[in-house]
Amino acid sequence: MRLADYITSDHIKIGLEGRNKDEVIEELVELCSEVCDVSDPDAVLQAVLNRERDGSTGLEKGVAIPHAKSDAVGTLSIVVGISREGIDFEAQDGKPSHLFFLLVAPTSESGPHVQAIAKIVKLIKIDNFREQMINAQTPEDVVKVINSAENGEEE
Amino acid sequence: MNKNLNPFERLIVYIDGSESSIRAAKLAIAMANAFGSRLRVLYVVNENLLNELLKARVFVQVEKMDYERDLEEDGKRYLGYVEKLAESKGVDVETSLRKGIVHEEVSCEVDEWQCDLLIQGELGEVLSLRDSFYEEGERILRKVKCPVMVVKGQGKINKLFEEL
Repeated sequence: MRLADYITSDHIKIGLEGRNKDEVIEELVELCSEVCDVSDPDAVLQAVLNRERDGSTGLEKGVAIPHAKSDAVGTLSIVVGISREGIDFEAQDGKPSHLFFLLVAPTSESGPHVQAIAKIVKLIKIDNFREQMINAQTPEDVVKVINSAENGEEE
Repeated sequence: MNKNLNPFERLIVYIDGSESSIRAAKLAIAMANAFGSRLRVLYVVNENLLNELLKARVFVQVEKMDYERDLEEDGKRYLGYVEKLAESKGVDVETSLRKGIVHEEVSCEVDEWQCDLLIQGELGEVLSLRDSFYEEGERILRKVKCPVMVVKGQGKINKLFEEL
């Protein structure tokens, strides 16, 4: 499982405009609908919001991984959003979230979905990776950071 | 020299659904055919990974159980696929689906079935040397007590299988 196979520069938005959790999720789903194989953006949005109601996916150290299963996507879809200001995403440590990975997968692709989430969780434990992602200036820089990390050049 | 000795009476191929593991299954089928071996195909639901994601609070309990069911269904589908591949070449296979910590479950299966050779696909990518100690393929290599074959490469195996 290589995240770089799923995340190209058009899957990345630096400077999210949303000012709260729901707005950020809407913005990420909108981006996902533009660049991924999404048949029903509203269904995807609802699935992600419903999952979020079961418990926030805001983790520690400024990272959130909103995700859901939905057959409104054709295949595992991942987009990345970055907010310099930070968003209150009801994170575990109570701090603002800056780096967002939205993952949506059809029910038939739970294996790759779980592997992708596990890979992201593994990467965000690396301080340097998190910092470089949050401070990236362009989507291309984000792709480079992900590629370097997956090639074992981080840590 | 005992010419009747078969070093590969019992083969297990471990699959995780990856293309590499399916290639390993194709080679295992070819070997079972060549050596007249009994072949068992094994899939393990990675319960440990799901528990780690639950512990990290990425998953909630109900969601973890939901994914566990999905992965079990995936496993049945992959096992069925390999079963059909083997059938197409006239090779009988047994299937086994387990749940738990992958390398431990593979090791148990190897011991319980007294396997002569474990066959698996390429090792997974690692992000660092430390990471390599936690990669399931590597952990299987270290844990099991029988010889292990790691199947690398693509074209030759697919060609071999087609010509079988």
